[in-house]
Formats: sequence, C-alpha cells, structure tokens
Amino acid sequence: MLDLLAQTGLNAVYAASYISLVAVGLVLIFGVMGVINFAHGELFMAGAYVVVAVYADMHMPFFIAVVVGLLFVGCLGLLMERALFRPLRDNPLGGLVASIGFLMILQALATMGFGVRMEFIPPVTQHVVQLGENISIPLARVYVIVAAIVLLSALWYFLKRTRFGWALRASAQDPQAAELQGISIAQTAKIAMFIGAGLAGIAGALTAPLISVNPHMGHSVIVTAFIVIIVGGVGSLEGAIIASIAYAFVHTFVTTFYGGVIADITGLSLMLIVLIVKPTGLFGSADRA
Amino acid sequence: MISKLRAAGLTRRTFLKSTAITAVGASMPSITLAAGEPIKIGFLAPLTGAVAAWGKPGLDGCMIWAERVNAAGGIELEDGKHPVEFVSYDNEYDPAKARTGATKLIREDGVSFIMMLGGDTWPGVQPVADKTGMLFSTLLPSDLSPDSTTLLAPAEVHPIYLVTGVDYLADTFPDAKTVVICAQDDALGLPSVATYLAAFEARGIEVLEEPLLFDPATTDFAPIVTRMLSSNPDIICLDTCYSDYVHPICEQLFQQGYKGKMISATADFYDQMIAKTSKEFMEGFIFQFPDFDDPALSGDNINFEDANGFYEEYAKRHPGQWGAVSWEYASIMDLWKAAAEQAGSADPEAVMEAMKEGGTGKHAFGDAVWWGTELFGIDNALVGDWPVVVIEDGKAVIKGFKSIPDWYDQHGDLLIKHMQAYNQMYDQRG
Amino acid sequence: MRKALIWIAFGAALIALPHGLSFSQQEILVFLTINILVVSSYRLLTLTGEWSLAHVVIMGVGAYASAMMTKNLGVYVPVAMLMGGIIAALIAVVLSFPLFRMKGFYFLIGSFAAGEIIRLLWKHFRDPFGGAKGIKGIDPMPDFSIGIYDFDFFEPVSYFYFAGFIVIVCLWILWRIERSPVGLTFHAVHWQDKLAEASGVNLRAYRTLAFAVASGFAGIGGALLAHYIGTINPGSFDLDYMVFVLTWAIVGGTGTFYGPILGCVVLTILNEVVLRELGFEQLRPLIYGAILIASILFLPNGLESIVQKFTKRSAKS
Repeated sequence: MLDLLAQTGLNAVYAASYISLVAVGLVLIFGVMGVINFAHGELFMAGAYVVVAVYADMHMPFFIAVVVGLLFVGCLGLLMERALFRPLRDNPLGGLVASIGFLMILQALATMGFGVRMEFIPPVTQHVVQLGENISIPLARVYVIVAAIVLLSALWYFLKRTRFGWALRASAQDPQAAELQGISIAQTAKIAMFIGAGLAGIAGALTAPLISVNPHMGHSVIVTAFIVIIVGGVGSLEGAIIASIAYAFVHTFVTTFYGGVIADITGLSLMLIVLIVKPTGLFGSADRA
Repeated sequence: MISKLRAAGLTRRTFLKSTAITAVGASMPSITLAAGEPIKIGFLAPLTGAVAAWGKPGLDGCMIWAERVNAAGGIELEDGKHPVEFVSYDNEYDPAKARTGATKLIREDGVSFIMMLGGDTWPGVQPVADKTGMLFSTLLPSDLSPDSTTLLAPAEVHPIYLVTGVDYLADTFPDAKTVVICAQDDALGLPSVATYLAAFEARGIEVLEEPLLFDPATTDFAPIVTRMLSSNPDIICLDTCYSDYVHPICEQLFQQGYKGKMISATADFYDQMIAKTSKEFMEGFIFQFPDFDDPALSGDNINFEDANGFYEEYAKRHPGQWGAVSWEYASIMDLWKAAAEQAGSADPEAVMEAMKEGGTGKHAFGDAVWWGTELFGIDNALVGDWPVVVIEDGKAVIKGFKSIPDWYDQHGDLLIKHMQAYNQMYDQRG
Repeated sequence: MRKALIWIAFGAALIALPHGLSFSQQEILVFLTINILVVSSYRLLTLTGEWSLAHVVIMGVGAYASAMMTKNLGVYVPVAMLMGGIIAALIAVVLSFPLFRMKGFYFLIGSFAAGEIIRLLWKHFRDPFGGAKGIKGIDPMPDFSIGIYDFDFFEPVSYFYFAGFIVIVCLWILWRIERSPVGLTFHAVHWQDKLAEASGVNLRAYRTLAFAVASGFAGIGGALLAHYIGTINPGSFDLDYMVFVLTWAIVGGTGTFYGPILGCVVLTILNEVVLRELGFEQLRPLIYGAILIASILFLPNGLESIVQKFTKRSAKS
C-alpha cells in the first residue's frame, strides 16, 4: 500500500510538471495581453509535432528538437501577437474568436502535414530509475520534471530580477500606469507571447515521446489548464504553479483509487468550490477579472 | 397555396434523378442505372475531427478497392458491366450531420449502398434508413437492433470475436489465472468489457477488480497502470482501447516493470509499440487484427480478394497507416459486389436478399453465418471464424482461426448476463 | 400597413424557402432554424455582459429532459419540449448561485466547468442518462394534419415549418423581453454596473433572470433538436458546439437583435453548404478558421455593422 501511495505520488509530480508549464504560459498571456488564448492547447500540440518532424523524421537529437520546439512555438506566439492580438487590442472577445480560428488552422495543418493517425516517436531513453521495489520513474519523465523546475525558476528570476520582467509584471498589473512609466506595451506583449507560447511548445515537445501525438491532443490539455489557472487566480503565476500541483495530486490520486471519470468530476467540482469560496481564485485579485 | 407549393416541390423531386418519391414523402429509392453508368456507393464516416482515424483510412482502402475492381472491368449486373464510384460525406461523428449526409447520398447522389462507421452517428441515420429502405453497413454490430432491418454488420463483429483471443490464451497458458481489465468509457469500450468478462468467466480466469474505466480524454496513463499493477495480475486486458491508448498504456506497463501476459482487441502499429518497449516485452501479445501480408490470408478459406496484394498497395500509398479500418470497409465491398452480381442488380433490396440468401455469407475470414438474434434481436451480423493474432519475434502471426458461434453455443448465457449488467443488450440500449 | 405587408411577404418567403432547396439543404435548414434560437437566446445572456460557456450544455439539459419525459413517462412531445425548456431554466437558476459570484473571465471558465460537470454526469450515470451512448430512439413529434397541410415530421420540410413556428414565437418573446423595462435593465446591468446598483437595481436578480430565460429558450432549442434527430449523447453538446455558438454570436455581432442570427446563417451556409459544394470536404476546418480570423479582423463590429451601414445610408437618402 505504501508503495502504491509513493508510486502515485511520483506520477502526480510528473503530471504537475507539464501542467504547470502550460498553465503558466496561459496566465502570462492573459495577464499581459488580456485575451483568453483558446489556441494554447494547439500550441502544445505544435511543440509535439516539432519533435515528430525534427527528432522522429529528421533524426536530429531530441535535445535539439526540444529547443526548436520552444523557438518555433514561441515564434507562433509572436505571429499571433502581431497578426491577431495587436489589431484586436481593444476587443478581447475578438481576440478569443481569432484564437479559435487559429486553433482550427493549426489542427488542420497538422492533419494535412502528418495525417489523422497518432504519430510515432522513438523513445528518448528507456532507462527507468528504481527508487524501491515497486517504486520507479522512467528517466524520460524525470527530464520533464527537471525541465519544468529549471524553466519555471528561470522565468521567476527573469520576472523578479530583470528590467524586462519588471516591465512585464507592471503591464500585467495595470497597462495604463505601466505605459505612463515609459514601458512599451508593444514590447512587453511580444515578450509575453513568446514566453507564454514557448512554454506551451516546450511542454508539448518534452512530453511528445510519452503521450499520443495527434492533431486533437490539445483539447484535454487546454481544459486542464483552464481549471488550473482559475483555481490559482487568473493573474497569478505563483497561483498557477501551486494550483497545478494541487490539481495533479488530486486528479492522479482519485484516478488511481476511484477511477478516471470520477477524477474529472472531482477536479471540476473542486474548482467550483474554490470559486464559490473565493470568486477570484486562490491567489487572484479582483481587478483583473 | 400550400398545396400548390407542395405540387411545385413534387415536380422538383421527380426532376431529380433516382429519387422516385411518393406523395407522402420518402420511400424506397428505385435505382435504375443506364448501361455502363457508374454504381455509386456512399461513404458516410468521420473524415475530419477527433474520430477521423476511424473513417479516413477506410476511405483510402476503398479507393484502392475501387481501382482494382474498375481495372478488372467493374461490377457485372444484368445489363452489363458498371464501374464503381465512392461518394463520401464527412459526418464529423455527429448524428445530425450523419442524417444530413445520408439524405444527400440517397436522395441527391443516388447511391446504391452506404457504409458507415456507426456508433453515435447511426441513431441519427436510422429514421432515414427506415423510410428509404436503403441498405447500410456498420463496423459496430452494437448498432444492430430489430428496429432496423436494412443495417448489416458484415465485417467487424466487435466485440464477440474477442472470445477467440481469450480461448487461445487459456489454452496456451493454463497457469495464467487472474486478470485486470481497463477500457475507455464509451460506446466501444463497454460492450467489449462485457464480452471479456464473459470470456474470462467461461475459462475460469478470475477478474481481480471492477474493470477500470477511464475518460476518452485521458492523456497520462501512469496512474491507471499503477492501479492495475497494484493487484498483481497474471494478465492485463486492454479491452478495445484505441491505439492512442494502447500505445501509452503498454509503454507504461513496460516502464513500471510488468512481466505478465497482455491481451487486447487491437494492436495497430505494433511495430511502434515494440520500438517503445522491447521485443521481449511484446512477445506473446495477443490481439485480433492480422497484417494482410500474413501467408495465412492467402489460404482458400479467405474470401478477401487478394489480401496480400491489397496490403502491399496500401502500404505503398499510405506508409505506416495500416490498421483495422484500412481493410474493413473494403471487405464489406467484396461482399456487396458478390451479392450485387448474384442479384444482377444494385437495388438495395435485391442485394440484401442475395447477400443473406441461405443464411450464410462469405466473410473476409471465411464462410460465415448471418447471426445475432439473441444478442442483437436480428440476425444481421455476419459471424464465423476470427483469427487470433500473436506477436512473435516482432511480427504479428495468425495462430489460427476460431469459431465464434461455437463459443456462443457453449457460453452464450454468460455473455448475455454480462451484457445486461452493462446495459448493452439491444433491448436495453435506447 | 406597409409593415404588415412586409411581414406577410417575409412569412410567405419562409414557407416557400425549403421548396427551393435540395434535400440535404432542407436538413441543414432545420438545424439552422434550431441554432438561430440557440444563438438568439445566447445573446440575451450576453446583454448583461456575461459570456457563458455552458449554454450548449444547458440546451442539452432541455434535450435530455424532454427526451426522457417522452420515453419514460410518455409525455406528449410538445408538452415535453416546453417542460424541457422549463427544466433547463430551473437548472440555470441552480447554477446561478455559484456562477454569479464570478464575473468576466472567471464566469466564462466557471460556466464551462459547470457545463462539463453536467456532461460528465450524463456520461457517468448509464442509468438514467444512457452513458456515453446517450439516448436513442427518442419519440418523434407525432404527425398531424391541419387540413391544407399534412405534417410528416420525418420530412425536413414539415419539421422546418413546425420548428420555424416555435422559433419565431420564441424570438418574438425574446424581442419583447429586450424591449421591456426588464430588458433595458439588462443593458443597464452591463454598462452601468455600479450606477445600476446604486439606483436600487438588484444586479444579481437581473443576471439570474437573464440567465434563466436564455437557458429556457436554449432548452427548447435542445428539445427541438432531440425530437428531430431521435438521438442525443453527451458528445452532442460538447465544447466544439459551444465554440460554434460563440463564434456565430461574435462574428455576427451582439449589438443588435439580428446580429447573432446573421452570423449563424452566414457561417452555417459557408461551412455546411459552400465549402462542401466546392469539394473542400477535409479542408473545411482550415478555411473556416481563416474565415473566422478574417471576419473578426476586418469586421470588428460584426456582420451587423454592414447591415447598419446600409440601412443608415438608405435612411439618409
């Protein structure tokens, strides 16, 4: 029984890692741009397909594929900023519709380029780290966990210790005041979109060898990410991370002990309860809703 | 005024070829073909969206089938030879769009026969089928019910063929005594769970816990696999999971150190599963869908026209895309072609009569009987032998063909018991 | 007098409409008619400034309620449809307690979560909801005759007349609500949040009222759909469908009563008729996505802005 609990805990840590990468990106985009990026799950999918193209098809090293995934999807983010969100700056609902359109295009492109079937990605490593008789974690999953910790720490440093990060936080809190302070909103928007999209891309790239890659894989990811950022509080990066961990643990344990469908219902119900108790999420403030 | 409009509508209708509609509404479309005019076959399945993998590869297979038949001169009816042509409609796995598609294919395109994936989309089409008498086929026999007499399940007899795999497992490995089942909670997963429960019970294999049902949106299977392994089973049964689930589940089983037997309905792209795990791990994996380059499929008992050649052509055009649906729609067409040629007509009623004549039919895997009165309320499933396939040294090998009706004669009551427990009997679905 | 004539001409055009269409277009017309009700009722909710992602699921509540009442209790179909609407409205009132503690983005996602919970409950409880397969063999609307016309509800033309009549009645009610003092308060709730409250308007009550009324009509729309196709399942009311409703409303524009209807009609015809006819069967999602982006970039105020420009110009001259 103890083994089972420990193994389930490890499973949850892995789940928390990739969920938090996706959720933090989504929060960053919402905070700075003020739009709900419905296409965020498809950015995750795009990152996975970069690994299909670069690592599985072109036989480049996995590490390179992940970096390409980060950069490529980051650039997709820049494209969205320039082509969609900037012209629709004063129209948040317009931004929502545009991101839905973008989502459909990305899905269709993936289908055209790679087919409707799931993609094959050779395992990066088959090594399994044994932590006990019945407790183990595959090395490939450890990579995801380590990458998430490194990336999120780097992001934290960037936001708290650099001028760019200061500007980013300022414009997320109050765009008008930030502009008065001489912060270029256009500049921060680009940075936020690149980082936010890039995080989704790298999460997709890192997990691609571990999950089924198909054109519709983004759907369940975005649903989870929405739940997480609502629980955490929409404007809060810390909240997103803590909520990711909490959600991953609840979902994983309920799945293991009661079943998958019950776990989904539990996750959603918990979210509603959090919202009833604190309508702006655990770490959210009222002004940015 | 309205009666005038209706009259106008009627002239429009008679104007449309191939839809002699009576004044009350739709009725049997009588299809009359000019000599040499192509016979049109409807393909009504998801071609875009999340379920497209169950439609698109089948359409690809049909294209190859049509080319091969047309190159050989087409289909020979009473009035001479006709080429065959597929008309597709993307139903996006939505019942409303399937209904619209069925209407278009029947009343506007004048098709003689419609192939569907079935499942969620069939109940939307059912009223159209009832009113027009059009002949339909489904890949999911759980769509069959006595209410619709013109729906056939001539290729897939999911899930009853699963019993053959369990029988093989029990015969070959008598020491394997316990099993855990996992399945996605949907229209494909549940009847399959009921069948496996019956098949394991029939052979005295103990099912250790309630089958684990997961949501189709699941992406991370580590928690489910951890749960399955916690009861330490001899056998893991993957039910009728889609390949998007079978692959990650097997990978997790491998990584979490599982050493026992595995049985599953499908193992599409098993070469990729081997690459993700190991040859040793996948050795002995039991499933039900052979590669069509298997020498056992060039035998005399096989009715699929040149199975090996079909596989080769498919693999050439769509490399790495071969799966169960690739051949199933095409095998239905083999059956349809034979029946149409026998009837000398493409008329749905005549073809159906010819197809079911004598209560037997030529299923892809050998001569079979029209069957299913107890289970589906109607004998519209073509059931006979089904192959048991095992991975040996990295390649899927047919280990033999086993008779489904024979199993049912012995253990039918068990199957009905479990089907009832999961609300899957024809009189319970609805 | 002139107005009456226009309405009569409009009615005659609607009666003639299906006879100018092909069979499959008649089917699409039925679904389009139902969707017009769904998107129009959605607009009523958006008047208060809240955008819900639960609307389609609540439409499903109406569909499930009506289907189950006819199947299990033998209720007469039109009565069951009405009851479906009422039950959808009641569920909306229940949901309003948690949901209206939230606003804006929180409300959007909160409503999505509430909808997903309902959908998962349908999936999880095979008894009585039928699980993932849903409910099949739902009783169709019983055929009847009104002397000059025999209604055969298998025929899309008949069902179009029936559903069209109900939808027009519902739209008329929605229109009256919007023009009533209550409807004007909805607008006020949106634009003058604090002010409205200060002047003694009970914001929450009005939001709940708008949510319940909108949900009720959506429920009737769901029931109309269920008794036509004869089958519903949790997948029939998923996020994809919701996204379509949302885009119809926004692309059409929610500033006017006709905006969402326009969006629904134009986008449905494009997606279901034009793109399919042009042979883009498998490319449709790509082109549809591009159309969404183009329309929102170049017509930020929706398709209704074209009509407004046009009518303003004609009013000037």
